[in-house]
Amino acid sequence: MKTIMSLIAGVAVSVLAVTPVWADYPERPIKMIVAYSAGGGTDIAARTLSQYIEKYLGGTIVVENKAGAGGEIGFGALANADPDGYTIGFINSPNVLTIPIERETSYTLDDLAPVANVIYDPGAFSVRADSEIETLADLVEFAKKNPGEVTYGTTGVGSDDHLAALAFQRQAGIEMTHIPFKGNVDVRAAVLGGHVMLASMNVSQTIADHREGTMRLFGQMSNKRWDGADEIPTFKEQGFDIIMGSDRGMAAPAGIDPAVLAKLSDAVGKAMADPEFLAKAKAQNLPITFMSAEEFAAHLVKLNASYQKLWDENPWSGAK
Amino acid sequence: MVVFNEILAAVPLVFTVEVFVAMIVGTAIGIAIGALPGLSATMGIAVLIPVTFSMSPLTALGMIAGIYNGAMYGGSIPAILLRIPGTPAGIATVFDGYPMAQQGRARLALDISLASSSIGSLCSAVALLLLAPPLAMVALKFGPADYFWLAVFGLTTIAVLMSGSPVKGLLSACFGLVVGMIGIDVINGQPRFTFDIPELRGGVHIIVLLTGLYAIPPAIDLALGKLAIDGSKLNISGKPEKFAWASLIPVWMKSSVIGIVIGIIPALGGNVAALLAWNEQQRSAKDSSRYGKGAPEGVAAAECANNADTAATLIPALTLGVPGNAVAAVILGALLVHGLRPGPELFTANSQIVYGFMLTMLVTAGLMFVIGRLGARLYVHVLRLPSALLAPMIICMTVIGVYSVHNSMFEVGLMLGFGCIGFAMERMSIPTAPAVLAVILGPMAEEALRRALLISRGDLFYLVSSPISWVLLTLIGIAIVTPVWRRLRPQVASPSQP
Repeated sequence: MKTIMSLIAGVAVSVLAVTPVWADYPERPIKMIVAYSAGGGTDIAARTLSQYIEKYLGGTIVVENKAGAGGEIGFGALANADPDGYTIGFINSPNVLTIPIERETSYTLDDLAPVANVIYDPGAFSVRADSEIETLADLVEFAKKNPGEVTYGTTGVGSDDHLAALAFQRQAGIEMTHIPFKGNVDVRAAVLGGHVMLASMNVSQTIADHREGTMRLFGQMSNKRWDGADEIPTFKEQGFDIIMGSDRGMAAPAGIDPAVLAKLSDAVGKAMADPEFLAKAKAQNLPITFMSAEEFAAHLVKLNASYQKLWDENPWSGAK
Repeated sequence: MVVFNEILAAVPLVFTVEVFVAMIVGTAIGIAIGALPGLSATMGIAVLIPVTFSMSPLTALGMIAGIYNGAMYGGSIPAILLRIPGTPAGIATVFDGYPMAQQGRARLALDISLASSSIGSLCSAVALLLLAPPLAMVALKFGPADYFWLAVFGLTTIAVLMSGSPVKGLLSACFGLVVGMIGIDVINGQPRFTFDIPELRGGVHIIVLLTGLYAIPPAIDLALGKLAIDGSKLNISGKPEKFAWASLIPVWMKSSVIGIVIGIIPALGGNVAALLAWNEQQRSAKDSSRYGKGAPEGVAAAECANNADTAATLIPALTLGVPGNAVAAVILGALLVHGLRPGPELFTANSQIVYGFMLTMLVTAGLMFVIGRLGARLYVHVLRLPSALLAPMIICMTVIGVYSVHNSMFEVGLMLGFGCIGFAMERMSIPTAPAVLAVILGPMAEEALRRALLISRGDLFYLVSSPISWVLLTLIGIAIVTPVWRRLRPQVASPSQP
């Protein structure tokens, strides 16, 4: 009986759902799921941007924090939400991609419809200022002479920092020792204290130390130099084809109406071009990079393939 | 000198309307929480942290500072009037405070308690301001091996010093160690004890555990009427009398030092500080027979020492991430909630907030004196609050509070579960503080050890290669030997308590 009732209800709902005129979207508040705690980096970026998306979309956005398990809880909630356009969320790479590679999850990349990318924070390598290593070539030379002697700190197993270093090791044909920490604050302290040689940390987190002269940043893993750190050469310029970092973009559950997706993506693009938002982003040191829905989707698929390959060859997590 | 500039730079931030109001409210609430038997500073802060989510970090921390200082004094009110310590740290105040009240000198006892508490807090805050910044600079020199020994030192002091019954203390610490293991292993990325529950992958949030262990058991006790107070015994009608306040200055000096030193040592709390200071006062007095029978100096020593413990516990907490006691552990949780991680970086990147917080510890010490003075009569009436009203209020606030940490009902359930465990532990008189400290220190020891061995590629000599490691090893040795030495030479053991 229950099933019949819910079937009828389901049919009724779907009939109703087909009829709305999408031109009126949004008619009620949109929920934006952030998979990290209130007050964190992603949360602040999301709350800053959402005001400007509201401006161009013409509706209200309510940020809801669903933190836990490295983002898995929030990503899962987003992927499994009703694709009616009233639930959107922030997704962070590499976590959104690597978690389903590492373990059984309630979602995969296919369950998400990318809306737009907002932030791309390139990975970077840095050492303490008094180190002899000044370029990637120096690092490779040192590591070849002393296999395993180079210790590098990251923000954890499977983090973008860790994966970036793994990719670099493979390309350069060297061996380094991974020392995982809980956050970039700990990595920084360990490198400054001389306990760990190399920091694999995003460029936006290291540039201040580089400019203060306490640490030396000698490579960022982006296609072109980020505006906020334009004196730092890229890995590409130094002969290593590594484009890795952490993305923070927006997505909706898969199955969303393409017209709604386009409208959302368009609003995000306009919001990110708003001079007021740009000023706020600069003040918060956010490395913003807009990608449209198609570009972001293609980018994620490509990244996913490269992570899957890394994993298949040599899983980065698990008891050794 | 840089430090003084940093402190000066934080002064205007502390004296904004918002922060100042938060400090006043915090102190006022703190005294009330302390005055209510069964409610402690830990519980008060744990319950109120979620309320502070929407505030700016310094406003939140100002309020927490007020609660912390206020509760330590508040505990002396029922200790003096009813012979019931409002908080564990108020126990030594009973010795001389209650006899004073019986002699009709309750008002004087309360005044001495308030003044001594304020002075203890002031000294402690000054110690924090002077000692934490240099320690934070040294903290950068702490490598993984040193952190390992530091955590082991903390665990050793818990095991050796904290509990009257070592077996029960160890049991509680083991419970904490197990809880600390839940979640994704930081070193190899594998989930441990998560039972495929995604919510457990990130580990048990310290606020969830603390709220459960510290807020729920007293609420159950209140609901059961266990903490009911006979209001008719409340009497502070004693007439104002002349008192030679200057005679207390040496007492305050000695007790403040004792409180500060005890505060810095992990795992020792305000109750130990107060007992030690009281013992020392009695031991060194010319006429020790007066103590325990209503000596004003006894009240001053106990109250000054338990307040001198407050800010000092934050010295290792803010610089090294090692909390001195359960309250410091909650405050660490509060810092994390506001995105502030303890360690040397806290003193550079967030210098204004951290120096501002230390200043609020100083300012609330003064505020406590004013509020305690003005509200003396009012706080006595707090003791008449019906427990039938308080219990549901506390439960409601903890549920809302814990839910708001991650918007997760799972964590609310977890918190209530820990609450039941905490209640059972109290029933069996198993202390809960070792569990809380072990939750923080256990993973710290494990990760640091594994990191050290990764860096050294398995070379165990790396663990004893730095001078800091040797200092810590010596301290561990002293901590282990102390009780043995005391047992072998009973004649130097501390004098008996009444």
